[in-house]
Amino acid sequence: MKNSHFKYVGKRIPRIDGPEKVTGELKYMTDYQFENMVWGKVLRSSFPYARIKHIDTSRAEALAGVLAVLTHKDIPGFNGFGIVVPDQPVLASDVVRCTGDAIALVAAETQEIAEHALSLIHVDYEPLTPITDAEFAMTDRAPFLHESGNIHSHVTIKNGDTEKAFSEADIILENTFYSPRQMHAFIETEGGWGVLEPDGMLTIRCPGQYAYRDRLQIARALALNPARIRVISNPIGGAFGGKDEITVQIYLALLALHTDGRPVKIHLSREESVIAGIKRHPFKVQMKTAARKDGTIIANQVRAVADTGAYASLGGAVIALAIEHCCGPYKIPNVDLEGFCVYTNNGISGAFRGFGVNQVCAAIETHMDMLAEKLNLDPIELRKKNVYQKGDTSSIGHVLKTSVGTLQTLETAEKCELWKNRALHKKDISEPWKKRGIGLATSFHAVGMGIGLPDYGAATLELMQDGTFKVGVGCEDIGGGNGTVYAQIAAELLNCSISSISVVQGDTSETIDSGTVTASRSTYTGGKAIAAAVPNMIRLLTEAAAEIHGVMPENVLMGDDELYALKEDGEKTVTYKDIFHYLYEKHRPTKVEGHFMLPKEQEEFKGSGGAPHHLYGYLTHIVLVEVDTMTGETDVLRVVSIPDAGKVLNPQGLEGQAEGGAVMGIGYTLYEDVLMEAGYHKTTNFTNYILPTIRETPIIETFPVDSAEETGPFGAKGIGEVVMIPIIAAITNAIYDAAGIRIKHLPATPERIFAALKEQEASTPVNLNE
Amino acid sequence: MFVSEIDMLSPRSLKECLFILENEKSSLRLLAGGTDAVVRMKEGKWRPDYWVNLKHVDELRFITIQKDEIQIGPLTTHSEIINSPLLQAHADVLVQACQEIGATQMQNMGTIGGNIATASPAGDTIPALYALGAVIELTSLSGKRMINVEDFFIGPGKTAAQPNEIISKIAFNVRGKNDIGIFQKLGPRKAQSISIVNAAVTLSMKQGTKECTGGRIAFGSVGPTVIRAKKCEAMLTLGPLTDEMIANIGRVAWKEVMPISDIRASASYRRDMASALLERGLYRLLKRWAEHEE
Ligand SMILES: Cc1cc2nc3c(=O)[nH]c(=O)nc-3n(C[C@H](O)[C@H](O)[C@H](O)COP(=O)(O)OP(=O)(O)OC[C@H]3O[C@@H](n4cnc5c(N)ncnc54)[C@H](O)[C@@H]3O)c2cc1C
Repeated sequence: MKNSHFKYVGKRIPRIDGPEKVTGELKYMTDYQFENMVWGKVLRSSFPYARIKHIDTSRAEALAGVLAVLTHKDIPGFNGFGIVVPDQPVLASDVVRCTGDAIALVAAETQEIAEHALSLIHVDYEPLTPITDAEFAMTDRAPFLHESGNIHSHVTIKNGDTEKAFSEADIILENTFYSPRQMHAFIETEGGWGVLEPDGMLTIRCPGQYAYRDRLQIARALALNPARIRVISNPIGGAFGGKDEITVQIYLALLALHTDGRPVKIHLSREESVIAGIKRHPFKVQMKTAARKDGTIIANQVRAVADTGAYASLGGAVIALAIEHCCGPYKIPNVDLEGFCVYTNNGISGAFRGFGVNQVCAAIETHMDMLAEKLNLDPIELRKKNVYQKGDTSSIGHVLKTSVGTLQTLETAEKCELWKNRALHKKDISEPWKKRGIGLATSFHAVGMGIGLPDYGAATLELMQDGTFKVGVGCEDIGGGNGTVYAQIAAELLNCSISSISVVQGDTSETIDSGTVTASRSTYTGGKAIAAAVPNMIRLLTEAAAEIHGVMPENVLMGDDELYALKEDGEKTVTYKDIFHYLYEKHRPTKVEGHFMLPKEQEEFKGSGGAPHHLYGYLTHIVLVEVDTMTGETDVLRVVSIPDAGKVLNPQGLEGQAEGGAVMGIGYTLYEDVLMEAGYHKTTNFTNYILPTIRETPIIETFPVDSAEETGPFGAKGIGEVVMIPIIAAITNAIYDAAGIRIKHLPATPERIFAALKEQEASTPVNLNE
Repeated sequence: MFVSEIDMLSPRSLKECLFILENEKSSLRLLAGGTDAVVRMKEGKWRPDYWVNLKHVDELRFITIQKDEIQIGPLTTHSEIINSPLLQAHADVLVQACQEIGATQMQNMGTIGGNIATASPAGDTIPALYALGAVIELTSLSGKRMINVEDFFIGPGKTAAQPNEIISKIAFNVRGKNDIGIFQKLGPRKAQSISIVNAAVTLSMKQGTKECTGGRIAFGSVGPTVIRAKKCEAMLTLGPLTDEMIANIGRVAWKEVMPISDIRASASYRRDMASALLERGLYRLLKRWAEHEE
């Protein structure tokens, strides 16, 4: 099927939710206020690590305007949560392991009374020495933060014989890389509503990334039948992985049980969000890479340590994905890879766009750049020599059965203006002490869950009274625009106008379980599920039309937004409205479902924690930077993003992702870090957490390579994460190209760049002939 | 004190305002654009019984020229300064400083009086006012007094203003056509950032040359208050401001500052940056001068 045959798929369809979001008309859940509402607040720990000896809530309870003060004693069910292992207490009872730990909840008439009540709760702590270094946490000298020890997970992948390869190599590189604790910095901080309905149902309205799983985690803590809980998780003011885990849903549920049916609201301040919210894992990555003179990479050895903070959340999966991706999209025959996910008292880290790949991509792609320089090879040539293609075996020993676009992205990179004219661009400096450079990097990111996790999609299609269709997909729209793609796919396949499609997402009473909106999976999975539901809807429509006109279903044809029944006396038009009324009168259902299982690899690499995945998206970035050598400031001036997203369903949506991802990557590389000292946050809010603004946003061009993936909806894959990954190393490689310094400790702040420049100056021998 | 318990008084004239400051027994704080005040209120630092809202005291909002003196009302916003042709012609250094404050929203709301009164060592208009040799007029019910900008600041957040006084005017001399200035800021990013180091320079140039007959240099965020760099200033007139001379002057700046380490930067980086900003600023200023001469 060619693009041109399609009315919606592959077209620049504007976001269906765009106007109300852009105008501010849309109310997010935390925007709501109700007359009889109650405010909820959370008491967080005063210490990063301490034993709790006693909690006295009596003074808080006595305060006028306080409805409830709850502690661990008030949890009806299991006092814990966590997507993989529920190691995080809902409310700490005997020990606190980070300053984000919750100890008590308050519901009060006003926010101020609630805050004041928190200050009246007396917690008797016995402070302990916090563990703030992941490497130290792994030693015998460190006390155990959890019974199972401080190493939450250890994953390994081995292939070939690295020792032998190192002994035969022409060149070996060995470096250590450090990465920052990036914050999701969504515009809507964690928050929502809980209310106990008159019929005894508990409704939780709270932005999340998987309403059905949130519901189960709430049910477990409340010891309540999940069917008695409704979770509404859409719309969302941004998530990026930071709302994948439980945020405040359980607190809302607990408080709602104690407010006499009055709705209770919690909305974290930015300061509380910084302390309690999940972050990106800071990594230490040690990498040793060997190559032959001709540029063939023959070995890679990696040891990565991820600081997951006080609780696991998805840390185990993050380190597993990191290790799976740490050799890049290359075929390196000998690899020896291991990763550790380690508990410390540094807040909590978990899911975040890229999911561990960002940190390791920075390492391998810096090594690729160093190799190209040392071997005097073109950086693209070197990569082309080592990339795998469909049917090849990757570094981790995986035979790729799905589409692989790396080579096309590199070929496109070679031909693009920025790369072809890089010598010219380099010379074009704005002031004499400034230096320009161009850097490139390529990477990939799995789509969907790894082995061991069931991965399915489901969608509902409902014919409405006015003849329109309602598409229901559990996956929320966390900003990526999957709802628009769902509408496009449904309209295309139902042969109706896109304005006849409404989309509902993220609501346990309106949608069926479709899995998470993570792992770059929701376009692929949700799209396929809709495609599976459409034939059921068409059958329902044709059969009804056939009945109405007394013809055989074969004699019903689909037109634009209507059907035709072929009768002896000619064609009869049947509108979808007619069909709705016909079915309604007969009390017959107007809703169908579609289900889809994500294809998986058969065998897991032992000890890898879920590798390999079946499907990956690929991307190459090129950037132009200018370094001010007097101050160390770096400007990213241009970005070229070349994704392989499979078939592009909506170019405008893809560009939105590519541009947002690039800016997030720029922030990660140059500015962002949540600084901690001795277990306390030094970064407090957006005054000192430095996000890129429009003035740090360069020109970003997106040139997708169209490599259709047979298994995807209309050939699509996923792109939500890889869009921010290679740019990290592309920027640091460009800084090297500009100023001759390698930054291995991110973010590359002006101060770090300036220090590197100073060091370079000090170590450069003076040329006496000059 | 809860935020909801704070009340607000909105005087209609300067006189009424001064009367309140003199006689009201409760704790008070003036409120201009609120861009510092609201932040500190939320942090729990500033919770007076009453905000004294200056919004309607229009007589504090002006930009005028009186004989040889430029006068600015404290309620003048950064945007008004940026867009003033008079200040563009006579106070380039201040206009540039205001352009570096926050971003558009902050420039529209924030006032020069608020920036001075907050007395942050990193406040961006302050080095510019040092470089212009500005004086600050304080008014109370009992009268007015003028105070040199350099004597106004005592320490971070501390000024010479008494509780019954209000900043009523900022003034400096009209500058000649060979007087030029520049403001340089280094922040963790380009917009919405607090200065790691900032620097303001004004020079009086000799027509047709690279020679300078005198100048002022001030640094912010490298000490408890803004610091005037007198050694560097003395070097300005030693000879033509060649690239080499500029680099030498920059190097001396290192010795004039006494910064601290904080979340934004280390003390040693700040030191180096004082030198870098001065050198970069002088270079840019001289380039502009040369282009202007052509
Ligand atoms: C996001 C953001 C970014 C910012 N960026 C910058 C920046 O880049 N550079 C910078 O320097 N500042 C910055 N600021 C700080 C602030 O915007 C400025 O200091 C601004 O000039 C303060 O003016 P205001 O009118 O808002 O003062 P207000 O907040 O109203 O008042 C500040 C203080 O001044 C006192 N005051 C006000 N007027 C008078 C008067 N006439 N006499 C005596 N006392 C008075 C008040 O009582 C109060 O103590 C930023 C603030 C924010 C929130």
